[in-house]
Amino acid sequence: MRIALILLFLLALGSVPGSVLPQQGVDPAQVQQYFASHPALAPWLNRLGLFNVFAAPWFAAIYLLLFVSLAGCVVPRAFRLAHTVRAQPPTAPRNLARLPSWARYETALAPEQALAAAASVLSARRFRVRTADGWVSAEKGHRREAGNLLFHLALLGVLLSVGLGGLFGYKSNRLLVQGSSFADTVTDLDVYHPGRLVAPSDLAPFTIALDKFNASYVTSGPDRGQPAAFDALIRYSSQPGRSLQRFDLQVNHPLVVDGVRVFLIGHGYAPVFKITDGTGHVVFDQPVPFIAAETATYTSEGVIKVPNARPEQLGFIGVFLPTAVDTGGQLQSAFPAAVNPVVSLVSYAGNLGLDSGVPQSVYQLDTAGMHRLPVRPQGLSPGQSIKLPGGDGTLTFTGYTQWITLAMTYDPGQLPALACAIAALAGLLLSFFVRRRRIFVRVRAAEGGATVVDVGGLARSDAGGGFETEFAELTGKLQSVHPGAPPPGTPPPGTEPSDAGPDGAAQPSRPREEGE
Amino acid sequence: MPTINTGLAQVSNDFLLVAIVAYSLAVLAFAGDFAFGRSKTRAAGAAAEARVPAMAGAAIAGEAAVAGPSGAGADGLPAAGAAASDGPAPVRPAFLSFQKEIVGVTGGGQPAATSPGRWVRAALVATFFGLAAHLVGVISRGLAVHRLPWGDMYEFVVALTCVAVVFFLGLMIRYRAYYLGLFVVGAVVIALGLAQTVIYTVAGPLVPALQSYWLSIHVTAITLAVGTYFVAAVLGIVYLFTDRHARRAAAGRVRAADGIMGRLPAPEVLDRLAYRTVMFAFPLWTFGIIAGAIWADQAWGRYWGWDPTETWAFITWVVYACFLHARSTAGWRGWKATVVQLVGFCCLVFNMVGVSLFITGLHSYAGLN
Repeated sequence: MRIALILLFLLALGSVPGSVLPQQGVDPAQVQQYFASHPALAPWLNRLGLFNVFAAPWFAAIYLLLFVSLAGCVVPRAFRLAHTVRAQPPTAPRNLARLPSWARYETALAPEQALAAAASVLSARRFRVRTADGWVSAEKGHRREAGNLLFHLALLGVLLSVGLGGLFGYKSNRLLVQGSSFADTVTDLDVYHPGRLVAPSDLAPFTIALDKFNASYVTSGPDRGQPAAFDALIRYSSQPGRSLQRFDLQVNHPLVVDGVRVFLIGHGYAPVFKITDGTGHVVFDQPVPFIAAETATYTSEGVIKVPNARPEQLGFIGVFLPTAVDTGGQLQSAFPAAVNPVVSLVSYAGNLGLDSGVPQSVYQLDTAGMHRLPVRPQGLSPGQSIKLPGGDGTLTFTGYTQWITLAMTYDPGQLPALACAIAALAGLLLSFFVRRRRIFVRVRAAEGGATVVDVGGLARSDAGGGFETEFAELTGKLQSVHPGAPPPGTPPPGTEPSDAGPDGAAQPSRPREEGE
Repeated sequence: MPTINTGLAQVSNDFLLVAIVAYSLAVLAFAGDFAFGRSKTRAAGAAAEARVPAMAGAAIAGEAAVAGPSGAGADGLPAAGAAASDGPAPVRPAFLSFQKEIVGVTGGGQPAATSPGRWVRAALVATFFGLAAHLVGVISRGLAVHRLPWGDMYEFVVALTCVAVVFFLGLMIRYRAYYLGLFVVGAVVIALGLAQTVIYTVAGPLVPALQSYWLSIHVTAITLAVGTYFVAAVLGIVYLFTDRHARRAAAGRVRAADGIMGRLPAPEVLDRLAYRTVMFAFPLWTFGIIAGAIWADQAWGRYWGWDPTETWAFITWVVYACFLHARSTAGWRGWKATVVQLVGFCCLVFNMVGVSLFITGLHSYAGLN
């Protein structure tokens, strides 16, 4: 128990850096940023695994040790519980006055009748009752220990489920422009994180097409510009060639296809450009996804690369303003919805560097081999064009469309984890609110025809206190079925024990938890 | 989307202001009880000396009836009588009910055992009045924004303090624990005051990620749990003071009945009450985390992602689990376990305030920038 306690503390302490430092698994870009701003410290932190705490060997060591210590405690206890559940309640002790709670009174009933009456009271209160000559022994509350064991075993189950998901599950992302579609294959995904035992052929072969995306925003009040609802109208099919089905994808309303769940996790604008090169050919006519640099106004940034343009390759760095307003000669976006969409571009010509063999991001323009064209950046509204100087052609901002980001997850450990978590909660409630009690009743014939009844009680778990109340109530109940008992409140002779014993009345609520 | 009813939101603010004033009056009255309440306490100074040897709850009564220390006899008998007339037929004085246990063991003897004094009654009236205003404030805020009113941090603090007051009143009625009033309601006044001044957020709608019925379930469970943990933390702090006082008294350095401590119950009673309170809150917290995981799964596609708030919820859970274990580990009971409980509450507060404000994560919904 003490070791388990120390390991629990270590677990809590070990999690702290995971929330303070950027984590590889949560936000890799922030980790890179941290490396850049703390060049001396970051490598050391990295060596300690502090950028990936929850996958670090030392963190795994803590929780594995914890679970080993847990199993080492829980398994023997499970056997002991199985044994005691099958066994009968124990023999009543000879001297009930030595128990933590004890009461004595007299009744007019004969001993056997008194015993039978006591046994039926106890059975009615869901005690397991064992009757023998002159005594009744009753116990209840095995469900407390069972609940405690269930809780701890279920925690093991949660850990195993998480492991199961890590081995056989996968996660992927895909950006999808309105009007286009994709198939769930490794090559057609933007981001793909398979579990250790997942092969590319394990991916569910569905296709998804985005028909329309709607975002609505709060238009007035202090929360103006805050998103109010996102709707992606999609069509999907679970197998290639099957008919397409419609689905309205929303933020808290994922699509489930072939066990894979598809979430809407992001959106943005994709201005459409038509570019004619210096030779008069249309070399580019498609939407370009721009990434929101700022979500409050959805001012978005993006890059256009035109490798087919002649005589020179063309490149553009652009800013898209959904609701452009002129503030002192400078264009800014005032609202995230596209009320007055404007694009502003910086133009380059030269070599895009796409053939160099170094992989490039589609969201970044490598201007090393390019020269900036002398065009003054200006706001373009849909339909407007700029003529590129030096006979390099024209660019037309024909309009805009929208894109969404989909996250696909497949996690076979999910349902087991939920089941185990619910089991853990149920076990917790049982172990907290079921109480283990033992009650013994002994009767013997006294002089003058009366029967002396002794009631003894033992709380096997009373950390929260309260057994005295229960015992007093139970004794009262027993007295009420044993007529002839003296009126309540009058201590009959012999009830003041002078030999209460060291652990008698002095500690009526001595806690005896066995919980871990 | 329905628009925000700013008039109702203003009504909510006004009622919360009324609640703060009423609670403040209640705090004054509770303090008045400590200062000017029945002075039997001091008269029963001798009886109070019996507290230390007879700390184990109802033990005193039994001990007193048998062969307790000279002063304890006077202390124990009335309590025993009260118990005897209470149950159907408790045959031995040791069968004090837990209620009696809580109140019967107040340091100064039995003042709290009988009906509450004038100051306490006034405080209770003020508290109930404050609670009514508080409830109206919460409900009108909810009506103003057309959703459950615990969507941002301000609303969350207002709701959880409401839970704390309700829980406290429940405790008080069940266990007649009037002595808690000063501390719980005092803490509530501070929290509500901070909510109104520092973190006040204008009523607004929820961002789409929060528009789910799991929000109601998750945040309701978390609010209930935090409100209950709040009471447990107050009990823990009071426990630490009484525990220190009891040890000093045992060492003969102060008189047990001195000052405010003399009117507080024995440390064991507070400890047990705090433990029970955590036992109530912990399953709620566990359920809140599970509901949150389900919601995260619906909204973000993973049930657990070590987001800073999730991490701190986990840390909090582990620390409270430590407390529950520590309390049944020899050598850890008492003040050590209570410190663990308070560390847990600090984690909770850090998660609510620190993580929301200083660490960017998916839970940054405080409504503050």
